[in-house]
Amino acid sequence: MKLNRVLVVDDSSAMRAFVRAALESREISGDVIEASSGFEALRLLPRERFDMALVDINMPDIHGLDVIRLIRANEAHKHTPILVISSEASARDREKGLALGADDWLQKPFAPEDLERAVLKVLASPRNLGNPGTGSPGT
Amino acid sequence: MTDDADRIREEFFAESQEIVEALSRDLLLLDHGQKEGRTDPDLVNSVFRGVHTLKGVAGMFGYSELSESSHALEDLLDQVRLGRIALTQTALDVLFEGVEVLQRLLGAARGESHDVDLEGYARRIRNLLNSAVERDSDSLASLDLDPGVLSVLTEYEEHRLRTSVEQNIPLYQLRAKFALATIDTELESLKQQVKSFAEIITYLPSTEPTDDDALELVILCASRRTLAQFRETLSSSAIVVDLVARRAGSVVPSIVPSRPGELFDLPSARGSMFPGAQLAKDADVTPRAIAKTVRVDIEKLDHLMNVVGELGIVKSSVSRIIETLSERPELKPLLAELHRAQRAFERNLASLQEGILDVRMVPLSQTFDRLGRAVRQASRERDKEVRLAVTGADTEVDKLIVEELVDPLLHIIRNAVDHGLETTEARQRIGKPITGTIALNAYQKGNHVVIEIEDDGAGIDPNKVAARALERAILTEDEIADMTVEEIRQLIFLPGFSTAREVTDLSGRGVGMDVVRTNIGRLGGVVDVQSEVGVGTKFTLTLPITLAIVNALVLTVRGQVFAIPLSVVQEALFFDERGVRQVEGREVITLRGESLPIARVAQLFRLDSGHATSMSKPSPNAITPQQARRESTKTRAGSTRGFVVVASLGQRRLGLVVDALEGQRDIITKPLGKSLASVKGISGATDLGDQRVILVLDAPSILNEILAQDGGHHARLPS
Amino acid sequence: MSNLAKRGTVIPSAIPHGPRHDRIWVGTEGVQEFLVIQLGDQRMGLPLASVREILKVAPVTLVPRAPRAVLGILSVRGRITTVIDLRLHLNMPEASDTRSSRILLVHGGEETLGVRVDAVLNVVRLRESEVEPAAIVGSELPEHVMGIGRPFRERMEAANPAARVAKGSFERDADAEVVILLDPTILLRLRK
Repeated sequence: MKLNRVLVVDDSSAMRAFVRAALESREISGDVIEASSGFEALRLLPRERFDMALVDINMPDIHGLDVIRLIRANEAHKHTPILVISSEASARDREKGLALGADDWLQKPFAPEDLERAVLKVLASPRNLGNPGTGSPGT
Repeated sequence: MTDDADRIREEFFAESQEIVEALSRDLLLLDHGQKEGRTDPDLVNSVFRGVHTLKGVAGMFGYSELSESSHALEDLLDQVRLGRIALTQTALDVLFEGVEVLQRLLGAARGESHDVDLEGYARRIRNLLNSAVERDSDSLASLDLDPGVLSVLTEYEEHRLRTSVEQNIPLYQLRAKFALATIDTELESLKQQVKSFAEIITYLPSTEPTDDDALELVILCASRRTLAQFRETLSSSAIVVDLVARRAGSVVPSIVPSRPGELFDLPSARGSMFPGAQLAKDADVTPRAIAKTVRVDIEKLDHLMNVVGELGIVKSSVSRIIETLSERPELKPLLAELHRAQRAFERNLASLQEGILDVRMVPLSQTFDRLGRAVRQASRERDKEVRLAVTGADTEVDKLIVEELVDPLLHIIRNAVDHGLETTEARQRIGKPITGTIALNAYQKGNHVVIEIEDDGAGIDPNKVAARALERAILTEDEIADMTVEEIRQLIFLPGFSTAREVTDLSGRGVGMDVVRTNIGRLGGVVDVQSEVGVGTKFTLTLPITLAIVNALVLTVRGQVFAIPLSVVQEALFFDERGVRQVEGREVITLRGESLPIARVAQLFRLDSGHATSMSKPSPNAITPQQARRESTKTRAGSTRGFVVVASLGQRRLGLVVDALEGQRDIITKPLGKSLASVKGISGATDLGDQRVILVLDAPSILNEILAQDGGHHARLPS
Repeated sequence: MSNLAKRGTVIPSAIPHGPRHDRIWVGTEGVQEFLVIQLGDQRMGLPLASVREILKVAPVTLVPRAPRAVLGILSVRGRITTVIDLRLHLNMPEASDTRSSRILLVHGGEETLGVRVDAVLNVVRLRESEVEPAAIVGSELPEHVMGIGRPFRERMEAANPAARVAKGSFERDADAEVVILLDPTILLRLRK
């Protein structure tokens, strides 16, 4: 396992199920918690610790970009790696996301292997290397 | 594929189906609004989002056609919501086509075949996209707006802002702190409150430190109301309403934080906007209940029904034991207790059964929405003004029945628009309102659900029907002369009556009225028609509420056991071979002075041949030696041999000739698999427990079969 | 028998639209297990993933007017399942049951059907490279056949160990018993 626990924020239940299965089968994460909306993610934020967040952009009510901001504003998850999963192809939105604190952007549709690669890439980036995180695998 | 993969895929199918249904509903609303000259941007955005989501998931699961078609539709919807393409009836045509395409492709993903014209669809979308008009987009740029704000708004939000500014609609900001636990309901409630007079442009959450359980939001709205009015509406809540101030000297309003000079800078742009947290909302605002539903796999319900069925068998066993024990007087007090417990068990079991059945029920509104699309399409194609008036859409029916209803209803409605309703000119001439009406009504009647489809069109003209029958050589002139008007109308249900050219592609792929009758019959229901020339036509479908548990009569034919729902059984008689006569090529017996056509089940199902099965073990359905003895005794005693089960179906009756009756029991009819869909006369099978599976007879279908055997004579329907 | 129950999570992958050969291999990373059965004198294989259960022959309820290959229906834990005789289905001569006859519950696209076979032999693991796609072998192969498998002959019980090494245990043996691999979706879709 590369990660202890991952948060998946996406309003599509099929999407969440897919990502969960991908994370489990490729042994990327031991545990997966799901949020079906930005609000649900916010409710989880104070109570749960996670090592990485996968966030969808285009969600009803509050936008994925806001979710990113709010995760970053949370003391415990200030440095938690965030990977945006989105079918938005807009370069502008991508820039905004990265500017607001996302680590990388994974374009939908993607295969489980792509997800794994993206996660590894994020974890390997200088920003996240040496970051104690909230719980490393094996602890 | 393993179970997990299947389960995930099922999740995709269920979600996608919901999305398509929601799209259909929303488009119908948009269509309605457009006709009345108004377009709700929120609705357009909602449609956009649905298609966007579908595109994403379809791509993830590898359904490329579905994904690409969604993408094309999404592009179109994006242009519409950004105001670059107007939402005309033509545009709506393409959008509706899009939904239909997505629905078909979704079906294709589940293995159904499809004949969607993807080329044509893509072409029509491209044409519309080419007509997009780039709006003057610098109105916001000329504003003295802080670039920080623009940086956090999406393109769509910018557009809505711009539009409001251009139309000189004042902008407001609503500020409030929401408890995270209830924020969903509270926001929904707020949306409902302001929907009628304001457009919510965006929600901007604050990252100001608050307690973990709360979130501060600034909601930007555009509304023509004055500040005072706005505040008045929301006076009971703790939401603070402020007009978005105009910067001095600028022509158009800009968004300014309450502390001028406190500007937006990335990345905490949206963060420091709200100094001075507002007080928490008080409980005055009544939260609107957001429906809490659970998506349930119908197979899980089937499983639960099975368990209930097994419990029923256990219950019977216990009853038998109690009976046996009651012969021992010394156990009396204990038995009394046992009886009580048994009754309580029965009550709870019945309750459980009812509960599960209830879960299977879904409102007809899903089906009716689809019909709305079909009506719109048909009316556009035929250039007729049609409105669909629906009542009783919340009437509930078993989910499995609902699935089977779509095609027959589509066909009837399609027919009504194509042939029932007159052209606009014709209607004008005879003084009917230009807009034709198709009334769809559903209600519950005892154990049945009644669905009525009524149009105010030309009615079924018996002369035309007769002419068609002659044309198709179904009947001769003499035979027609003998028939009543009612009987002539019934001819539309005969196979071969409708021509291929009438069956248009979206009305259900080759469905004629005869198939409608068969399909409804397979569900245990009946179709009736009433009509008056010049006034209109009304089809009435009567269906059982649920296919699930049914009280049935168990019978045997040549050693094989069958069941027939008691709801169609009128009575049972001894069968006397001597009473059989031949009338117009059919076998009948006389029952209380009237002819009753009979069907010899053994012959019909060719059970006499006693076909050798290659299974080494004998079928448990074979009769026991005692039964055989019983039967032969009967034969010796007289000319009685077997029974006639009289099935009553609407206006008609049929006598089923069987060998023996075994009693009544509650059964759960389960459908046979798709591979056996072609087997006529059987509506399903039931598990009697202990591995005995018996077939359930489909009386209406057998009746139709017997009636079709006219031996060259005319298709007179029995009285 | 190998473990037919949980084989671990497999990610759903694209529903294949390609030629039938490719369809079976999608999502399997080029290797797949097949259940090998005996039918007459032929050995046939079904993707293991499509076989849900193996049942001993049990009495079925006859269904009048059903297609010829249909033996009848069976209740498997409450679910009514149609059972077909694979011999009749593939136009082979009928034969009576033996002690080794089995009913496989095979999932093919839309439905799970019971398929009666003469015997269940074993499970083989085949790489895509070991399967000759039906397209190449000859166009007269029926649609439900997706290829011919030639599992590497593993000479487990060579009398002479030296000979085994000499021959090369994993050399592809031209005489290796051929397994006719079937596509369950197409197989079960045939209407007779």
